[in-house]
Amino acid sequence: MSDVAPQPEAAVAAERLTKRYGSLTAIEDLTFSVAPGEVVGFLGPNGAGKSTTMRILSGTMAGTSGCASIWGVSVALKPAEAKRHMAYMPENNPLPEDLRVEEYLRLRARLKDVEAGKVDARVNQVMEDCDLVRRASGRLIGQLSKGFRQRVGIADALLAQPKVVILDEPTIGLDPHQILGIRDLIRSLRGQMAVLISSHILHEVEQVCDKVVIINRGRLVAQGRTDDLRRELLPHAGFTVVTKASQAELAALCTAAEPAATVEVGVATDLGWTRYRVVLPAQSPVRETLAATLLSAGLPLREIAEERYGLEDIFLAATRRTPAEGRRS
Amino acid sequence: MRHFRTLLAHELRTALLSGNTWASAALFLALMGGIHFFALLECSRAPQPWTPVEATFRLFWLPLLCVLPLLTMRSFAEERRSGTLSALLTTPASTAAIVWAKFLAAWLTWAAFWCAFLVFPWIVNARLGTAGDQRLSDPATLFGGLCFVLVSGLLHVALGILCSCLTRSAALAALLTFICLLGLTAVGGAMDSLPIESWSWLGWLREPAAHLRTFGHLQDFAGGILDSRPLVLYVTGMMLSLGLAVLAVEGQE
Repeated sequence: MSDVAPQPEAAVAAERLTKRYGSLTAIEDLTFSVAPGEVVGFLGPNGAGKSTTMRILSGTMAGTSGCASIWGVSVALKPAEAKRHMAYMPENNPLPEDLRVEEYLRLRARLKDVEAGKVDARVNQVMEDCDLVRRASGRLIGQLSKGFRQRVGIADALLAQPKVVILDEPTIGLDPHQILGIRDLIRSLRGQMAVLISSHILHEVEQVCDKVVIINRGRLVAQGRTDDLRRELLPHAGFTVVTKASQAELAALCTAAEPAATVEVGVATDLGWTRYRVVLPAQSPVRETLAATLLSAGLPLREIAEERYGLEDIFLAATRRTPAEGRRS
Repeated sequence: MRHFRTLLAHELRTALLSGNTWASAALFLALMGGIHFFALLECSRAPQPWTPVEATFRLFWLPLLCVLPLLTMRSFAEERRSGTLSALLTTPASTAAIVWAKFLAAWLTWAAFWCAFLVFPWIVNARLGTAGDQRLSDPATLFGGLCFVLVSGLLHVALGILCSCLTRSAALAALLTFICLLGLTAVGGAMDSLPIESWSWLGWLREPAAHLRTFGHLQDFAGGILDSRPLVLYVTGMMLSLGLAVLAVEGQE
């Protein structure tokens, strides 16, 4: 790995990336970037074009138009140089069944231009990092469980200490323990290398990633930090209120405090208590005083809680958006 | 170059440990042993205008059609089916290095098969030969025949590699290779046996036909005649096939 080159602004940059298969457009005008050391989640429904984008970025597929660069090097114009800065783990993580883990990693290290004298040290290091030393190093890859195969794929990606790691569904098919292990491993990479990771497990992405890029039908619909996207895509704040008051009474109190507030039809729970949903604008100051307002009005109140919007809500809101809205944002 | 050496060593190791290679070797040696045995039998019954080794080499197309497709069919087709070729292409190794490494490994394996065949004439000569009589294992014929199969093997193996690049199915790759080699051998044989010289309307075909005389090339090599034309034919054919293989891999991935 060359350390003399100056650090570029973007470790991964896609500019107006488009891929067409005949009349079918897989991705169109996709523009996003990943900063050095940043962990970015790449999200989208099935068939959105995530794997196609990742394959173009990794140099294994040519785009129809646009520009993809890794560490400032164009993937199309200088593929070998771009590949020296990058490691890619494809979705199904294909591995040769008839090689032992250690042999495979040694082969990959040599192909990835790891210095001859450092191959052993690097292989041992990544096997240690990926917890492969004790239970898998001498075993044939074909005999490994899905979890260990994923670890081998990630160990391979980390071998040459690349500037950029692209992981396509690294936690697919893993059990919760294995997912935790992979999550910790990816967390440990933050600051050392840029990581672009696609996953359907949004909870995982939210825990691990600094930023998310969301695409739908091949087009960018949202990108940014989750808090920013939450504010942008979910302009309302929801509260669950359990009270003995009627909907009209509750609505009167809420609209007196915040004219834009609405109260949705309640669901009776038990002994005369009813669960309502109160919706306020996300920026309303009443968010912080709603409980006090209701209590001071003498409302019989058993429970009040603000709904927490997760990445799942952001994802659903973003993928309902049109691409034009995404571009405007 | 470093990538090429690494890939070649890996391919040779894979070939050595592959059951497919050993099964192909067994089939090859059984086939060549049988051919050589029947050639010896013919010679023992009545005097023949050819030696047993010459007769064996003249049937080189049998192992070529039956064994070579088995040797090359998995090289790319299997890797494309399993996806390991895509993973290989994410490394800085060039497509050309990958294609050449697979080609050279297959060609060296093919050469090893033919070298192993030399054990048969050696055994026959050791058991049945008499001092000064080289008819059972004439070294010149053996060396010339071996040179022919190795030089023509450059094109034949390259065609097998190209066919393997064109499909994800190893069986289909073997079938394609068989058809290509059959066509090449049949055309070469036809050029030898058809009286093109006597057909005035085919006069334009004389020159190219002279280049494609496969069995004529074998005779020349076995007779110690080193003609540069077959060398150019097989080497350029190999380069063309491997160039197309590189394009096929890059195009499909």
